[in-house]
Amino acid sequence: MFLAKVEGAVVATKKEASMSGRKLLLLRPQLVDDKDPTKFRPGVNTIVAVDTLGAGIGEMVMFCQGSSARLAGGMKDAPVDAVIIGIVDTVDVLGKMIYSAKT
Amino acid sequence: MLLARVEGNIVATRKHPSLQGWRLLICQPIGKDGRLEGAPQVAIDSHGAGLHQQVVISSDGLAARKAVGDDRSPVRWLVIGVVDEKEPGVRA
Amino acid sequence: MKLGTVIGRVTLSRSEPSLAGGRFLIVSPFGREQYEHGLDAPLGLGKDPSPVVYDDLGGGVGQVIGYVEGREAAQPFPQPTPVDAINAALVDEMFYSPFK
Repeated sequence: MFLAKVEGAVVATKKEASMSGRKLLLLRPQLVDDKDPTKFRPGVNTIVAVDTLGAGIGEMVMFCQGSSARLAGGMKDAPVDAVIIGIVDTVDVLGKMIYSAKT
Repeated sequence: MLLARVEGNIVATRKHPSLQGWRLLICQPIGKDGRLEGAPQVAIDSHGAGLHQQVVISSDGLAARKAVGDDRSPVRWLVIGVVDEKEPGVRA
Repeated sequence: MKLGTVIGRVTLSRSEPSLAGGRFLIVSPFGREQYEHGLDAPLGLGKDPSPVVYDDLGGGVGQVIGYVEGREAAQPFPQPTPVDAINAALVDEMFYSPFK
């Protein structure tokens, strides 16, 4: 899994039948900065992921990739490879809270 | 499958129960000329591969689960062959 | 399985139902430098992206773990559970001797 910030949403009216009713969000992976572990550095690629938890733009989420993504509820027969599996409350790195949803 | 060289092993007391009793080898992927290719993988080994020996490792999770005899094991990489060598680093 | 140092923890306010109550660790993957330094190296972070792994072995910050990535990481769960990285071993000892 990786952490990511929700950057936006995409809407596709013409799509696979098994994708109807699913919400797709644009994610920017957030990686712990090796030079300053009190910060995140953005990942290079934008990821499109299915959201079933009601994540909002700007929120930090955790997502699962690959064929494991299909193990999320209701995804068994969907052609997906990335699913949001958690809305992040806090992130602690080396004893320091570097993210909190409340602030 | 990857060609790799055995560079050591790890010991872990707390681990997934399916790994109990297995040798866990640090396998460094290499190219034909022995050049390093990426980060090491830890693989289970039932062939008695020795330190610095070249091996072939595979990420066939199904085969790895069969080897450990546990369908609920997270194991993925296993040594599937020890490469014939005249001496370490020189393939036969 | 790859080796990495646990550098942090993630808590969730909402999660996929199958993951409720799960523990999640942030890991800094071992590069060759970390292998060469051994287990009691000071916490230097590698350049590789830092994955979050599911943990039910009780790993803590500073510990070196063996983690599995990919579909295999979901294998230990009795129900379908969307996990693509899991802590599989708390590493106590490492013997490492690079080939020269």
